[in-house]
Parts: sequence; structure tokens; C-alpha cells
Amino acid sequence: MATLAQPGPDTGPMRPNIAKAGLQLPAVKDYAQVDREIMGTLHPTRGWFILLMVSVACLGVGALSWIYQIHEGLGVAGYAPPVMWGVYIVTFVFWIGIGHAGTLISAILYLFRAGFRTTIYRCAEAMTVFAVMTAGLFPIIHLGRPWKFFWLLPYPNWRLLWPNFKSPLVWDVFAILTYLTISVTFLFVGLLPDLATLRDAEKNPFRKRILGALSFGWRNSENEWRHFARAYLFLAAFSTPLVLSVHSIVSFDFAMALVPGWHTTIFAPYFVAGAIFSGMGMVYTIIIPIRKFFKLEHYVTLNVMDAGAKLTLFTSMVVGCAYMVEYFIAWYGGVPAEQDYFMNRVFGQWWWAAWIMLTCNVILPLSLFSQKLRRNPTWLWILSLFINLGMWYERFVIVVPGLSHEFEPWQWTGYVPTFIDMGILIGSFGWFFMWFLLFIKQLPVIAISEVKEIVPPRLKEAASHGGGH
Amino acid sequence: MAGDTSMAQGMLGAFIEIDAACNAIAALRKQNVGRITVFTPAPRHEFEHALQPPRSPVRMYTLIGALSGAVFGWWISIWGSNYWPLVVGGKAISTWIPYTVFAFELMVLIGGLSTVAGLFIHARVPRLTMTVGYDPRFSGSHYGVWVECAPERLRDAETILRQAGAEEVRGDQ
Repeated sequence: MATLAQPGPDTGPMRPNIAKAGLQLPAVKDYAQVDREIMGTLHPTRGWFILLMVSVACLGVGALSWIYQIHEGLGVAGYAPPVMWGVYIVTFVFWIGIGHAGTLISAILYLFRAGFRTTIYRCAEAMTVFAVMTAGLFPIIHLGRPWKFFWLLPYPNWRLLWPNFKSPLVWDVFAILTYLTISVTFLFVGLLPDLATLRDAEKNPFRKRILGALSFGWRNSENEWRHFARAYLFLAAFSTPLVLSVHSIVSFDFAMALVPGWHTTIFAPYFVAGAIFSGMGMVYTIIIPIRKFFKLEHYVTLNVMDAGAKLTLFTSMVVGCAYMVEYFIAWYGGVPAEQDYFMNRVFGQWWWAAWIMLTCNVILPLSLFSQKLRRNPTWLWILSLFINLGMWYERFVIVVPGLSHEFEPWQWTGYVPTFIDMGILIGSFGWFFMWFLLFIKQLPVIAISEVKEIVPPRLKEAASHGGGH
Repeated sequence: MAGDTSMAQGMLGAFIEIDAACNAIAALRKQNVGRITVFTPAPRHEFEHALQPPRSPVRMYTLIGALSGAVFGWWISIWGSNYWPLVVGGKAISTWIPYTVFAFELMVLIGGLSTVAGLFIHARVPRLTMTVGYDPRFSGSHYGVWVECAPERLRDAETILRQAGAEEVRGDQ
């Protein structure tokens, strides 16, 4: 919720509830319009139904692939020693990264009072939850014996065994479960007032009862809002370091190993910047069609797109800088295995993957220096697809070339994903978009109560209040 | 229009203008008519100014939960390591620096969940039924001022709410 500041002294002008510098909604006139237009997006359409069917079909491909892998064993994935991490780990890191932009938009930009987040944060938050749900599947798929995943959890057991607390993989379990729990909590708490709005507008008694239960009997009283604003602030304050820690810990899965290209201290900030960059790409992939098909252009305005594009450009440049530092340190460090690895990655065996990464993540985003392109939704959407592709390849370039080109030349090998790998990759997109599509037709994609904070309230004495706020 | 106020324990005013609602609150507070509850579709500082509520105690739940989580994170990892010792790379059995990962994650987890618990306890949710004074319009575009007062003050409350410009005033139990 946008209300953060303590009540000021009675004298002097009242401060606005939210920093408006980044957000102006001149076409949104009153609260009734907000309710009508945002709740108007909740009616299913044929296009939505077709997309849902496509997502479910993709999920089906993934499910069948996984069932086949469980039946046949992990050998059907494209692993070839020593490349025992492949598409599953690449896709795990990819989806975890996607989630990070959601938290950036909903929590970090909230703390920084960046007004442009207001109309896109709900989508981004939902994206975070579904992306982490998707990511969490991949370590389990990668286990080969997924039914033993709970061995990673520290629980009192008959054999008196405890996990190795020094293992980054156990750190991962804690980080991701915490991230998922806090993200779901943050999303749900933010949804409470909107669920109450849906409940009160609902005519169908069955749906009204469900929404009444989900909204926990929220009444919009000033007492509720007061505690809500404080709780929301602290959840945002917790989410901010959490998001930085989660991808840092994911990067430790690599950096704690002695593999050339992995054993580097830059990995934590490099992964965090990459995660936010990739998440911004996915936010655009999702939000641009939503604003067009739901006719929400006057909420997700060109100014909002422009501000987000600047953030994308900035994170792209941070990521580009990290790439250059990696190469520089490999050269400057003078370790032959490290130098050889990077030569192989950029000009050798994996040149094609590295150049897809560099083109999509560093070169194409430079177009965002042009204001005209920053305010062009079509270009932003196309660019977002390239960013998604480039960031998947970034993780591929980290995981596979490192393992395929270690210290011993006799170990050098290649890696080719199988149909099972690709089936599960497709299935992950189906899983993610299925949940997202179900979300956008059941719950508001724009936070109704936060938009109402921006819309000037009706005043009896407008002149004496200078238009009100 | 006024409802039947003979049995009422409180008076509800529904406003469409925020300044009118704030004026009503100021007048009700000045005359000390009764306990005021305000309903608003979105949080607004105007009401905070008018009501001057105390600071939310939710922060204490956050602090206690976060500290408990951090302590538990360190404890479970150190205790687990000592109980089932795994010698890794010649390092000490209990190494508190990497265990800070657990302390941090559990600090966030327990701190976050405690914060929500604080919100629920003090905002009195989940609530099984809508209590008196609530109207579905208050999640739409109206502001509500509910005054809970002694029966002999109901007339005063009604007068103040009407004079402030309430669209509707009704008694409720």
C-alpha cells in the first residue's frame, strides 16, 4: 500500500500519499471508473480461453516428459559426464531470475517511492509467485528420484540424520522456500482490500461467499488501513534484502565450486543484476499484451513503459559490465584454465550461445537510449522476447561451457539437450502461463486500492483545497 | 434519509466527498460524541490527520519475529552440525559465517509472518461477519463515518453528520 508517511502536523499543506512524479493518470477520473474498468478485465474471453488451452497443452508435454523420465531414469536427459548439469539447472536459474523483477517492482520501487510501479506491480508480484513455483520444480526434476526431495529439509527423523548445513544446495532450499512464502504472503496481503472490493461488487451469492472468505472480512476501516500500511512497509523492507540474498545464494551453487568460470566473487551481484534484467523482460512480455487486450493503456501509460524501459536499460548495462569484468579478470588473473575457458566460451565451442547472449542482453537493449523506442510498446515487447531468450542463454553459457571445459583436456566434451529436456522446458512455460492466465481472470491485474490513492478524491470545497489529493 | 434511530447504538454517515467526511470527524471529536470508525476505499492521510490514531504496534511483531528467526536459524544449523557432524574440507564442524544464510533467511521468514500476524491481530481479521456500520459502498467510492455512542447522543451524531454533508445517515445496531 502506498501510504507510508506518518501523519504530519496539522499546520501546513497535506502531503500526497504517493510520489506522483512517475505516475499521472489523467484519464482516470474517479473511484467508480477504477472499479468498473479494472473489474471489467475479469470476464473470460475466447482469446483468453485459447491461450489457456495452449498453456495446458504445453504443460501436458512437460508432464509426459517428466513421467517418461521418472520411468526410464535420468539417463534420458542429455547429460554426458562431466556435464551433469544442463537444461534443468539452466531453467531453474532462469525462472528464479524472472521472479526477481516482480519483487523489485513491488517492494524495492515501493521503498524508493517510484510511482510508476503502482499500475504494474500486481502483475509483477503474481509473476514472481508463479515463476518461483516453476523454478522450485526443477531441482526436484533434476534429482532423478523426486520423491526424495524432502531429504534436503532439516527435520527430526528416525535415523537422526541432518543435512550438510555447509552445502549451498541446502542454502538454496531455505532461500527459495523463504522467497516463495514471503512472495505469496506479500501478494495475498496486498490483495486483501481488492478482494473486499470484488466481494462487495459481486452479485453471485456463491462467488460472494468465496470472496468473503478470501478477503478475511476486510472492511476498509481506518484501523485496518493503519496496520495494513505498516505491515506492508515491513514486508517490503524484508523482501528487498531477501530478493538480493536469494539470487546471491543461487549464484553460490556455482561460485562455491572450483570449476573455471564459476569460482568467482562477482557472481552474486552479477546474478542479481541479471535476474532483475530478465524479470523486467518478462514483465514487458506479460504487461504489454494485457494493457492492449484489456484496454488499460490509460493505467499502464507510456510514461510507465518509459520508466520501466530505463530500468531495463540500466540493468542491461550492469549485466554488460559484469560480462566485461568476467573477461577482464580471466585475462588479468593469469590462470590458464580460466583464460582457456573464456576463449572457448566466446570464440570456441560455445561461440553461438555466447553471442546470442551478448546480442540479446547487451547490444539490443542499447536501443532503449532512444526515447522513441522506449515509448513504443511493440518494440518493447519484441525486445522483451529477445531479453528472455538472451537471459536463458546467459545461464546456459554459465552452466554448460563451464562443465564441458574444465581443467583436464581429456574431459572436454559437449552437451546436446534431448527431447525430454526440451519437453520439460516447454512444460515449464505452460505451467507458468497457465497459472498466470487463471490469475488474471480471477483477480484484478491492477491494484484497485492503490490506483484509488492516486485518483483525486471528490471534494466539497475543491477550491479551498487546491483540487485535493 | 434517516433510518429508525430509536434502537440504534450508533449512527452511520455515508459521504462521497472526503473533506465533508473529515469535517464530520472533526466536529464529532470536538463534541466527544462517541467512538468513531472511518471506512475508506483507499488509505488517505486526511483521515489520519483527522483521527490522529496512535502508531501501529505491528513493528514490534516484526522485530520480535525477526530476532527469533535469526536466533533459530543459527541454532538449528549449529545444533544440527554438532549432532550429526560432517567434516567438510577440514573446516570446523560449526561455522557460523555460512550459517548466517540460515539466520538471515529465517529472520526474513519468521519476521515476515510475524508482521502479518500482527496485522491480523490488530486489524481484527479474519472476521467471520461484517460488523455493524459497514456498507458495501465503502469499498467502492464512498467514505463511511460510524459513530458508536450512547443512545442519548444519537441525535447529536445524526445532526453533525447531516450538517457535514453526508449523502446518507442511518442508525444501526
